[in-house]
Amino acid sequence: MTKQYVGNSTSTLDHAAFVSGRSTYTADHIFPNQLHAHFVRSTHAAAKIKRVDLSGAERVSGVVLAMDGMQAAEHLDPIPHFVDPIVFGGKTTNLRCLALGQVSYFGEPVAVVVAKDKKTALYAASRVNVEYEPTQAVLDASDAIDSNAPRVVPEWADNMLMQVPFGGGDCAAAFEAADHIVKTKLKVHRQSVQPIETRSYNAVWDHRESAITLYATAQNPHPLRYVLTNALRMPENKMRIVTSASGGAFGLKMHGHPEEALICLLAKLTKQAVKWIENREECLLTGGREQEHEVDFAINADGRILGIRDHFLANVGAPGGTPGWGMAFLTGLSMPGPYDVADLDVLANIVVTNKAPWSSCRGYGKEVTALALELGIDKAARELNMDPVQLRYKNFIKSDAFPKKSATGLIYDSGDYQGVMEKTLQLIDYDGFRDQQDALREEGTYAGIGVAYELTPEGGALPGTLVAGYDTSTVKVDPSGFVTVLTGVTDPGGGNRTGIGQIVADELGVEFEKIRVVQGDTQSCPYGFGNYSGRSTIVGGGSAALAAQDIKLKIITLAAVMMEVPEETIEIAGGIISTSADAGSQMSFVEVCYAAYTRNYDIAACIEPPLESTRTFKPGLISHTPDEEGKINPYPSYSNAAYAVVCEVDIETGKVSLKKFAVVHDCGKTINPILVEGQACGAVAFGIGGMLGEEILVDESGRQLTTDLVDYTMPRAADVPPIALGHHDTPNPITFMGLKGAGEAGVGGSAAAVVNAVNDALKCLNVEVLELPVSAPIVWKAIQAASLGSTETES
Amino acid sequence: MNLRMQYARPRKLDQATELLDALGTGAMVIAGGQELMPYLNYGRISPSIFMDISGLAELEGIEETAQGISIGALTVHRQIQINPVINSALPLLSFAAAQIGGGRQVHNRGTIGGNIVAMHALYDIAPALIALRAQIEVAGNQGLRTVPLTELLVETDHDLGTKTLLTRIVIPAMDPASGWAYEKLKITEGSYGSANAAAIVLRKPDGDLQVDLVVGAVAEQPVDLTGPLSERLRDNPDTDLDEQIDAVCQAVITDPISDQRGHAEYRKAMACVVAKRAVAAAIKKIKTS
Repeated sequence: MTKQYVGNSTSTLDHAAFVSGRSTYTADHIFPNQLHAHFVRSTHAAAKIKRVDLSGAERVSGVVLAMDGMQAAEHLDPIPHFVDPIVFGGKTTNLRCLALGQVSYFGEPVAVVVAKDKKTALYAASRVNVEYEPTQAVLDASDAIDSNAPRVVPEWADNMLMQVPFGGGDCAAAFEAADHIVKTKLKVHRQSVQPIETRSYNAVWDHRESAITLYATAQNPHPLRYVLTNALRMPENKMRIVTSASGGAFGLKMHGHPEEALICLLAKLTKQAVKWIENREECLLTGGREQEHEVDFAINADGRILGIRDHFLANVGAPGGTPGWGMAFLTGLSMPGPYDVADLDVLANIVVTNKAPWSSCRGYGKEVTALALELGIDKAARELNMDPVQLRYKNFIKSDAFPKKSATGLIYDSGDYQGVMEKTLQLIDYDGFRDQQDALREEGTYAGIGVAYELTPEGGALPGTLVAGYDTSTVKVDPSGFVTVLTGVTDPGGGNRTGIGQIVADELGVEFEKIRVVQGDTQSCPYGFGNYSGRSTIVGGGSAALAAQDIKLKIITLAAVMMEVPEETIEIAGGIISTSADAGSQMSFVEVCYAAYTRNYDIAACIEPPLESTRTFKPGLISHTPDEEGKINPYPSYSNAAYAVVCEVDIETGKVSLKKFAVVHDCGKTINPILVEGQACGAVAFGIGGMLGEEILVDESGRQLTTDLVDYTMPRAADVPPIALGHHDTPNPITFMGLKGAGEAGVGGSAAAVVNAVNDALKCLNVEVLELPVSAPIVWKAIQAASLGSTETES
Repeated sequence: MNLRMQYARPRKLDQATELLDALGTGAMVIAGGQELMPYLNYGRISPSIFMDISGLAELEGIEETAQGISIGALTVHRQIQINPVINSALPLLSFAAAQIGGGRQVHNRGTIGGNIVAMHALYDIAPALIALRAQIEVAGNQGLRTVPLTELLVETDHDLGTKTLLTRIVIPAMDPASGWAYEKLKITEGSYGSANAAAIVLRKPDGDLQVDLVVGAVAEQPVDLTGPLSERLRDNPDTDLDEQIDAVCQAVITDPISDQRGHAEYRKAMACVVAKRAVAAAIKKIKTS
């Protein structure tokens, strides 16, 4: 079949509205008698709540309702966890929308006020009086695991949410046998994802049906409906969730946030529409990635890695309903990345503290796997005086070894890691840079080059949860030949709806302009799981293709009857139906569609109307039946990519400037190059931003210091160097057209490449920075420490 | 917080100062709004009356006077960047105004008066103005007074924005023979400076250098290094200039700030770095006739 659209940079279906600022976002919806909610948030990281006095707020004219945790608990059951840690052998706790008796992080919602306008709600909230009795907060993971540490959850025996080993083989023996052991201690700081559009919920009460329509910034509308109707004690079919254009998600809009159920409750109680828009300060409370690793490599003299040991601490903040904590689990599960290492000993210590709960961040923990492995490999290269690229080549899984089962039980579908890396090095001119590096140094320029690899398990399915792996689409063709695709997957702004449209246009043989893709409405779309884990084009596109193929068969059957030729001679392309049996004979796609609906008692009796089909794409390779070691493979797809960056470090100020960036990635099959490249560039900006400027800081009592984007400095255009992009696709044998994910990967690989480049630039000064970020003050401090050290040695 | 804010927009300076005097503490002066609007949106400020001074003609315009270039307080950063009079007489100020963060929107709304009145440790304009020996005109109910910016910054009772108004900034034109530079160190493009320095260097007839040097973003207020540096240069004429700047920074910067732009030790060290870089760049720009 000729592909007219797949593989081309087709313009997105909704670009004009986005570019001209006319897209409708969730916060744009306004309903008659619209009410507005404002939250009162904890000013302490840890405290008992002695009293909540709402009377000051209730006296304000225009206030409809004010509520504290006790009142909320009367109406709301605990929020179901997106993924309950207890399923994986961890601890669980009841999660409340408003704090009940105690607060366990700064910014935790304590009370809520609903008023006729935003300003009144804000004003009234300032008149809610909360009496706290502060208790000792525990903020660092290493402090939290001390047996005397205050308990974040009083009823727990300790602050360990979960301790989970990953690995296999005989790591101790590998370390015994190795010629070298290289130890790398690294600290990854708390970061956050900050979409331009923050979260927003607007719940509308329907008197006639006693139902709620929730307009929500939600990546996973159907699973959210399950969670909310459970918490609200409502029938699941009495809630409709509608999403709108998305101004970015990056995991933030996966659910479990306390405001979701509460806004619904407020609509139910006031019988009106109640809206809340998160402000930037609230949005910055969400975070993730904060981990401390001790990665040890057992390496032979020839550079072969025999074993990897990594016992790490993840500071996931207070318990929360979003799948945030699961990122730490993924960090362990994704070891040892692209490397062929069977002897692996990983221990994830997932620790709760009095910081705000983790919320999913693009990369979902796999970015920290990449940081730990890639910073460790570079340290090994420095210590063993080997080229970091050659060291990777010695240890990559070979391209003929797939499918490959990893030491943690994952089954990698396909890949050519060395091929990807080689292409990347060509794009950045690795050898050319190495030739110049010494000369640059003599001129006083401290330049370095860093490479990194990232393997990203994507499209996950977890047994017993609404992280389901498969997804479903409906394709409908109208009597006039227009096509509507309804998918269970959603689009966070990356453009999968366009990619899915391209796939359907090609499968049906119609013009792309005739396709409309509808997503994110639980009332019209098939039950689905939304966007996460780089899955939407794989399962949304795959299921839409299956449904389109069903319809195409009907069209072919009917066309063959109408044209009086055998079915196998029929071809459909560009909205024209032709037959190889008669070069002069043609029909339009539209004519056949109209006949399918209107001639069912004569010529179209051969098919069953309507021209609709609902199909599910269920990727293989996922295995939920534990193997002999008890391991499962939750992922069908393993996109991967190599990153390389050239930097210069101003050694007087510690400031890192990036000069050149190259990425080559393997997303299996590229549906729309410009969209895929947009995703890759965005991931690079994420990785760069996280290493150079973005950091969430709290003071010693746990109050958050980072409250706006002046302090949380995300990268600007001038911080991001030109990015050279390449594709090196190896098709995934078990997905439609060989697709792998293209939306999630890249944060860790680009971050690790930046850190490796900095350490390469500073190698001649014996400076090594492994406490992130590599922001100017930290790099400067490391340079100072090294130069003081060397002065002392000299004297 | 106040739910029903009032708004006043006087058309004459004396009306404005009278009104301010009468209103007392509940009033807040607003011009370009770049400082106040974000706080207002968050509910962090709630004056009973906003007094919008954008209608005061006395606070507008750029004029050449006997005392120097007189710049109205309402002049926006963008005008300072592109105005030909300022470009030619005060190129350091034009350059420093271009380094203000926030992009073109902020440059088109934010005013030089608002920038000064904010007295924000990390803002860009003040170090350049101090190096340029700017005089500030302040109007109050008692009339108009002129005060050097350095003095205004340490006054505790200037009542700017609540009882008095900053009306104009008067700056003597730079010596065309001088070299100048403004160095700003930012961790990333979007962040405030971790340190900045304004330098004006003139070669005196005897061949010695006269250095005006002010560092900012390192302490609560810009630190004028000019006096201490000139003493050191006089007392130790043979020592390397960079060493002298280092020594002066070390001696004069006693209470560096610590925030997300860097810890105190870093800030002090960076003040030294940008100070040296600014002086070196300024020397390079000295016109040799």
